[in-house]
Amino acid sequence: MSQFEYVGKSVNRRDGVDKTTGRGLFTTDIFLPGMLFAKVLRSPHPHARIVSIDTSEAEKLPGVKAVMTHKNGPKNLFNAAVPMFLTIPQLERVLDQLLFDEIVRHVGDEVAAVAATSEAVAEKALALIKVEYEILPAVFDPLEAMKPEAPELHPGKGCTPEGRNIPAEIVKIPYNDVEKGLAESDVIIEETFELPVVKQVQMETQAAVAQVDGDGNVTVWSTTQTPHPSRAILGKIFDIPAGKIRVLAPPYVGGGFGVRIGLSGKAEPIAMGLALLAKRPVKMIYTRKEDFIASDTRHSGYVTIKLGAKKDGTFQALDMKAVLNTGAFCTFGAELPGVCGAMTLAIYRIPHQRYFGHSVYTNCTSAGAMRGFGNPQGNLAMEQAVDMMAEKLGMDPMELRKKNIMRPGDPWCLPYPCGTSELPECIRQGAESIGWSRRGKLNEPGSVKLRGLGMAVGTHVSNAWPFCVDYDNAYVTIQSDGSAQVASGVPDIGTGTSTSLVQIAAETLGMNMDNVGLTYGDTLGTPFDIGSHASRTCYAAGTAIKAAAADARKQILDYAAGYFNIPAERLEIKKGVIAPMAESLGECSGSGLCQLEEVKEGKGNSVTMEELAYHAHVRNKQFIGVGRIVPENAPPWHACFAEVEVDTRTGQVRVVKLTAAHDVGRAINPMIVEGQIEGGAVQGIGYALSEEITYNDKGRQQQYSMHNYMLPTAEDTPEIHSIIVESHDPTGPFGAKGAGECSLVCPASAIANAVADATGYRFKKIPMTPERVFKALNS
Amino acid sequence: MPNQIISFRLNGEVIEIAVSPAEMLLDVLREKMHLTGTKRGCGKGECGACTIIFNGKAMNACLIPAMRAQGADIQTIEGVEGEGGLHPLQQSFIDKGAVQCGFCTPGMIMSAKALLDKNKSPSKDQIREAVGGNICRCTGYVKIEEAVEDAARNLRANAVKGGDL
Repeated sequence: MSQFEYVGKSVNRRDGVDKTTGRGLFTTDIFLPGMLFAKVLRSPHPHARIVSIDTSEAEKLPGVKAVMTHKNGPKNLFNAAVPMFLTIPQLERVLDQLLFDEIVRHVGDEVAAVAATSEAVAEKALALIKVEYEILPAVFDPLEAMKPEAPELHPGKGCTPEGRNIPAEIVKIPYNDVEKGLAESDVIIEETFELPVVKQVQMETQAAVAQVDGDGNVTVWSTTQTPHPSRAILGKIFDIPAGKIRVLAPPYVGGGFGVRIGLSGKAEPIAMGLALLAKRPVKMIYTRKEDFIASDTRHSGYVTIKLGAKKDGTFQALDMKAVLNTGAFCTFGAELPGVCGAMTLAIYRIPHQRYFGHSVYTNCTSAGAMRGFGNPQGNLAMEQAVDMMAEKLGMDPMELRKKNIMRPGDPWCLPYPCGTSELPECIRQGAESIGWSRRGKLNEPGSVKLRGLGMAVGTHVSNAWPFCVDYDNAYVTIQSDGSAQVASGVPDIGTGTSTSLVQIAAETLGMNMDNVGLTYGDTLGTPFDIGSHASRTCYAAGTAIKAAAADARKQILDYAAGYFNIPAERLEIKKGVIAPMAESLGECSGSGLCQLEEVKEGKGNSVTMEELAYHAHVRNKQFIGVGRIVPENAPPWHACFAEVEVDTRTGQVRVVKLTAAHDVGRAINPMIVEGQIEGGAVQGIGYALSEEITYNDKGRQQQYSMHNYMLPTAEDTPEIHSIIVESHDPTGPFGAKGAGECSLVCPASAIANAVADATGYRFKKIPMTPERVFKALNS
Repeated sequence: MPNQIISFRLNGEVIEIAVSPAEMLLDVLREKMHLTGTKRGCGKGECGACTIIFNGKAMNACLIPAMRAQGADIQTIEGVEGEGGLHPLQQSFIDKGAVQCGFCTPGMIMSAKALLDKNKSPSKDQIREAVGGNICRCTGYVKIEEAVEDAARNLRANAVKGGDL
């Protein structure tokens, strides 16, 4: 039997009824009296200077209440993502965006915004704005953009000895002597892989509603993943004290996957800027096309792996290089290459390693965070190189991995220890689930449909440290009726944190979950928290909530101890009843529970939280627990196995089955964790097989709707087997580690290896679309 | 063209509302009636977030001209919960963990309901086909499929209890 009441239990989500009945409010649902609707004029050119802009006709249109361009917009440089405020002190933060700039740097870049009484009027007004552009030379490939003759995207920024348009620090991870390691290797695999631009495609597009009161206080309903840092960014853009700005999710956010770690595109500042001008509430909702072309994508680019091993398969050296396309702006251009390298280097015990990686500006839509944050890109290259190494050595790729994977206590490049790993058990269970022993025996000679098995392993983080600033605060206040209110600044972007965080609080307090409320996703009434990104919410915000709950619990027990006449350490709270440990309930008449004063008189030995809290309340006391923590970090682990079928006549790749075995530490809510695993698996299938944004010769995005950006549907989903292998990580709340992103780190790599196993052809470029596969197999 | 008054049955009640010929039913539901349970994910019939049941069929409200609602029988997510509580589909979505961000959920439930209203013993393929036009980016569809199967099972059990079968 579990030692816990709530931790480790698949309790139903608290937002379930709201979300299944249509009652739940999202930002796009907010409707305020007098509210105006914003629309944005966007650049049709990938790189141009605005020579002139005339908004006079638009302003005259009845119903138009405000127009904003680079002429009257705020002039403060910012970074729309959280590095604006979460860049670690050792790095220089990159501020390269204006709300409206004289230069436009990608198709879809903001030129002007209009607030009007309806979306239709706002759209009509946009058509009346006259803009004269001077076309500037544009560049779309990061390698091209680094050349001396390439156009400069942000003059004065990013001219380095290594190349042009490198906006942020180049991440260099030296680890022993890679040249020596390569020299000592018997076999070396060297390969470059090309990664596509892909998109989060969260279901709710970027959105915000801003309202300004007569005293200048601003409320912004927002789809952000990080309300507190977003408030800080807005404060700086508009020179308004952050203390006068409230940012909240209302309370639901229609997905994130990294696309709004910071601002939601520019929805918040556009709505806020227009609301300040019009003195009326303004709603800004991105159309799906705007979401595609004008909010952060995943980084595309090139990852090169040079892997050296001894004849017996012992890895000796890994030399890794990443050139990542950050597009027009450097939202996470500094941090992401770091994660790409560090997480790839952390998979295996390799005595000599080196990483060199950076972002490059181009005239593409800016790239930022997307679930996995650089890690899937690195993993795809590394895990394919490992399979190529196995083939060259004549070894089973699973055995080669088992021989080399990182073990707890092994030295690695990260500044925190590899504390726990159940990866070997994940591999064992995953291999059994997929039927790995069938590998190599799946196809009859002459088959037109070829089956193959592939695998990949990987790890990720449980918060953003040491790549970004990372800390958490939480309050737990005990109400006079004995119930508890928890306050945490993280939103619930769909990952179930508003349930699992309450499980942590109720478990720590010893209270029924029904008696624990949670205030979240709102800068008003919650202390500063980073927010929901980096697989951190349950692990890091959960640690702060556990600390706050433990603090409140201690105060409760200290208070009770004086009446029980025993040390507080010998008291416990279980199911909302305070009693000495390991003793039966008291002997009072009636309910079996006692009044605190009766306990003092020795008439019984248990009281309810309600009795105790009210007892304290009428004596002018409230129990307020505070949690202020800086999280450690811990590696979750993932072993992914895929079986595919490749139709050699059409090039169609079908995933037959996918098994994802995860070490997530302790699963606070296994049903929620499974949901994370399954969701990541299907996003991985899309990454491997169908999702891609390409640019035409005019610099326009060719995929900007779900009609031609090919997302997996229910009909594309194979059998998915999610396996949770629990470990107990001492650094996480109740042993938990991060679980949100690791699920998307390995599936594409496993599928690529399975396709190679099926066909004998190694794809150096994804997605493996029918067209690409057909061409490769028929050339 | 001027606005016109149209009348249709919405979640069991006959209503009248003035609509413009240019409007889509989704705009009328969300912007005029503030029935925001029906979501807008793309506005082009590509994501299924705005699925409603229109004369017994699951349809994207963003593609239906509002004028076409004249005389129609329309159900939105707000009309699914009965007097006895949640519909079995809603309960199964919660019990099976089929809800994450929740933005696709109303449309997903409406597509599934249109199926189960007609067929309480759907095959896996029929379930997948029914929700095949509803994009979910969170769940990977696994638990959604399980939830629809579970709801179908519960509906069949209720029908046996109620003597309808």
